[in-house]
Amino acid sequence: MAPPVLLLAALVAYPLIYNIGLSLRNYRTGEFVGLHNFARAFQDPLLFASLRATTIYVTSALVLEIALGLSLALLVHRTIRSGWARTLIYLLFIIPMVTPPVSAGVIARLIYTPTYGVLNAGLRAVGLIGEDILWLSRADTAMFAVVSVDVWQWMPFVFLVCFAGFQAVPQDAVEAALVDGAGGWHLFRHIEFPYLSSLLLLVLIFRFTDTFRVFDHVLVLTGGGPGATTEFLSVYLYRIAFKFFNLGYAAAVSLFVLAVSSLAFAILGRYLGREVAE
Amino acid sequence: MKPRGFWRLVSIAVLLILGALYLFPYFWMVLTAVKPLGEFYRFPATIFPERATVQPFVSVMVSRGFVTLLRNSLVVCLAAVGIGLIVSMLIAYPITRLPVSPRFRRALLNWILSLRFLPPIVVVIPFFDIVRRAGLYDNPLSLVLLYAVFSLPFATWMLKGSLLEVPMEIEEAALVDGATRLRAFFTILLPQIAPALLATAVITFALSWSEFMFAFILSATPRSQTFPIGVASLVTQFEIIWNEMAAVGAIAAAVPVLLLLLARRYVLTALTFGAVREKA
Repeated sequence: MAPPVLLLAALVAYPLIYNIGLSLRNYRTGEFVGLHNFARAFQDPLLFASLRATTIYVTSALVLEIALGLSLALLVHRTIRSGWARTLIYLLFIIPMVTPPVSAGVIARLIYTPTYGVLNAGLRAVGLIGEDILWLSRADTAMFAVVSVDVWQWMPFVFLVCFAGFQAVPQDAVEAALVDGAGGWHLFRHIEFPYLSSLLLLVLIFRFTDTFRVFDHVLVLTGGGPGATTEFLSVYLYRIAFKFFNLGYAAAVSLFVLAVSSLAFAILGRYLGREVAE
Repeated sequence: MKPRGFWRLVSIAVLLILGALYLFPYFWMVLTAVKPLGEFYRFPATIFPERATVQPFVSVMVSRGFVTLLRNSLVVCLAAVGIGLIVSMLIAYPITRLPVSPRFRRALLNWILSLRFLPPIVVVIPFFDIVRRAGLYDNPLSLVLLYAVFSLPFATWMLKGSLLEVPMEIEEAALVDGATRLRAFFTILLPQIAPALLATAVITFALSWSEFMFAFILSATPRSQTFPIGVASLVTQFEIIWNEMAAVGAIAAAVPVLLLLLARRYVLTALTFGAVREKA
């Protein structure tokens, strides 16, 4: 087993070390510049704008996905008993999760495009708007559009994980609480939630790392615009590295992205370590 | 439990609305794909096409040459799945069937899992430079390599899980009877884990198929561009040809959706690395 593991380690470690090398150089001249690229990051207003946009994206997507997914899981768990209905719900919800981001981009385009889009047509039909909203050309609505795609695709993930969590709660504990006269809220807060909390942490870390590095559907849908309002970190890094070919500066900033993701993984790793060790 | 007729109605209503919210977009994408362009621009809009046509599919696949991209995607993804499965089996087998220290096992599994959290942009910046210097820019080989590496977290964890479910005794009995380890692996173990192996192949294929960023940055011409890159080019061009865009979007979505409906039992388990088991 040693050879594949070592080869793999080399394959993964080499680009990362290479990245550090890139970050210490001026890419155009190849000259060693020390920490210049890192110092530059602190005076880059575009980077701060990108960080701000990323924070808005990550927070709104996470809050919506977890709030909606968890409440839906609770609702379905309490009210839908039939096995085939549950299977149907499962099947319905794995579809968006496995839809490629570019297809989600196509779908969002068909919905948000001004004159021929479904959304404006619907709003016009019920008389809510007189003239078309340019969803992808205004800062606030463009942000709404890219977040909505994320929530649409990944709320089902939160739902399915939480739903499976509810089913893992021992029936005895639930019945005992009911005999003691526990209400719905009490049952959730004191009996079911403790079983869900570790799964919620898992979901939180998965969704955090995925939204923090979001790229695909944003590039397809808004390309970072209008202006730079949806230019999240990965999109900004893409522009520095592959439009301006400043790989040195991009490498320096990407190490920050790596650090944040590693931190999130370390938190999950502690939890998983506990689970594996039992 | 208390009568919950009211909440049951709420629940059914919510689920019906969600069902519409989730199915309508796919439905609309397919309908747009079979509408002649003139009908798409008509006002007020029609929902069902008056004259359904497959012309958008033909024109985009043949005239625009998307068949080539489809072929690239198939070749790259199949190669990556093959390599990924072999490497992950070479890792999963020893740590589950051979005596290794639990600490080492856990460290290795965690490290492989960490690949799942490695942001692609961090990898692609140095990789772009490496690939360019090695003369592998715009070469499908670089994508095969990356897709194989990034399929390892899913593949290794899924194989590990399924290997652990096969009792040691079955294999040991064969070993006692004089079979070599290799023989025992192929005749005893492999048939046992075949369904999980197939599901792993399907899931890693679907993930590679959907990948966008690496292909977007490391390919430049139809020589190595994958299908999603073609789709993206139709979405971002200045004057969108709506029915063609919808057609390729539908093809790109159909492949993983159909595959994963086949492997449905494993999807949630795979996406959570075995933390959640679903019995659908």
